[in-house]
Amino acid sequence: MIESGKSICQRMKQISEEAEKDIKTIFMQSCIYTRSSALYELGAKIVELEELCEGLIEYEDRQVQPTQLSITAEELSKYSGKNGMPAYVAVNGIVYNVTNNAAWAAATHFGLTAGKDLTGEFASCHAGQSILEKLMIVGKLI
Amino acid sequence: MMEINGNTCPEYNLRLSAANSLIDKVKTEIERNTLVKKNLVWLELTGCSGNIISLLNGANPDFKYLITCMTDLIYNNSLMAPEGEAALDALFNNTENGFILAVEGAVSIKNNGLYNIIGRWRGEPITALNAVQLLGEKAAHVIAVGACATHGGVSAARPNPAECVGVQSILKRKVIKLPGCPCHPDWFLGTLAHILLYGEPELDDRDRPLLFYSTLIHDRCPRRSYFDKGIFATKLGEKTCMFKLGCRGPVTRVDCPVRQWNDYVNWPIKDDTPCIGCAMFGFPDKMEPFISYNTTRKR
Repeated sequence: MIESGKSICQRMKQISEEAEKDIKTIFMQSCIYTRSSALYELGAKIVELEELCEGLIEYEDRQVQPTQLSITAEELSKYSGKNGMPAYVAVNGIVYNVTNNAAWAAATHFGLTAGKDLTGEFASCHAGQSILEKLMIVGKLI
Repeated sequence: MMEINGNTCPEYNLRLSAANSLIDKVKTEIERNTLVKKNLVWLELTGCSGNIISLLNGANPDFKYLITCMTDLIYNNSLMAPEGEAALDALFNNTENGFILAVEGAVSIKNNGLYNIIGRWRGEPITALNAVQLLGEKAAHVIAVGACATHGGVSAARPNPAECVGVQSILKRKVIKLPGCPCHPDWFLGTLAHILLYGEPELDDRDRPLLFYSTLIHDRCPRRSYFDKGIFATKLGEKTCMFKLGCRGPVTRVDCPVRQWNDYVNWPIKDDTPCIGCAMFGFPDKMEPFISYNTTRKR
């Protein structure tokens, strides 16, 4: 599961604070075993930081770049998920890719089909639910 | 049942045995006279009788045990010996002491319910609508069994000429809902056993017992790893994920992958057909099309 950018950054901040303590331990402690242990902890934190960086890049790819695209209603209708086309739907002016979304098997969802602006339908069924932030953004509906 | 490293997964094992454990406890307590049998009324309204047929296939316990040892079956038009006025006498004269009402089939409301008359009593036609209103208010518990009774189901599919609705639309009281087309015998028997022992089971926000309806088919699907890897079947018969063919497992909340059917031997996905979402509200209209070709490309 991809976490939000904010939660990834919060964890990174937490790790850097913990890492400072490890570094202090390495400088202050005379016991070789305590210093080795702190060094090991520091190594593990670097590995976790690398993983978080990858997560952040993936999150940014999904959220920021695609919103540059502008899509008309006519263009949207081509993305119906039929004949090899991806499946896109629009909600509140944002176009999302639901091609591989589990709830959109064969580009259909509870009687709805892809390639349409489903703002009203979304509001009537999923108001207050955190669904949209998990979807891949394609662009803006103009 | 799914096996991991040759051993049955303990979680699956527990889920599968939940209905059994409850029913065993009912058996023991009835034998010890610490539990009193309750009357059971099973109404068949607008539907195909598929749920009573499914129940007859129950294995743990079998149907005979249900109607002799767990409950006293007061009424079921398909199975009882009396007919006509005598059958309806049995229905309306034995419903005073905390009976449990199970309803299969939808309620037709067009022309005040005249599209489904279940019999004549004291010279008057009794509509399915009358019967649900009358018995539904008096019952200790009401269980809607199968898709039609829970939300209209196939009987309420477009164009719905008889204006069929689910039982809840008629009654202003809690109706326990066991969607499925048909309902699995364990879902009904386990719910019934829970009612006899402890009262109403824990329900979700749509009044389905969590014992059976707590996980999505997709979450327990033996083909889930194919979905996660993006390996999709392009036609029926392939052993991979049927998402691109229109499988409704990801939106259907019930335990088919664990429990399976026909004495726990098989279920649609194991037999290479996509889930058609029969245990989800809105079936069949909202679950169609059941099969699609020429959809999106593989990822």
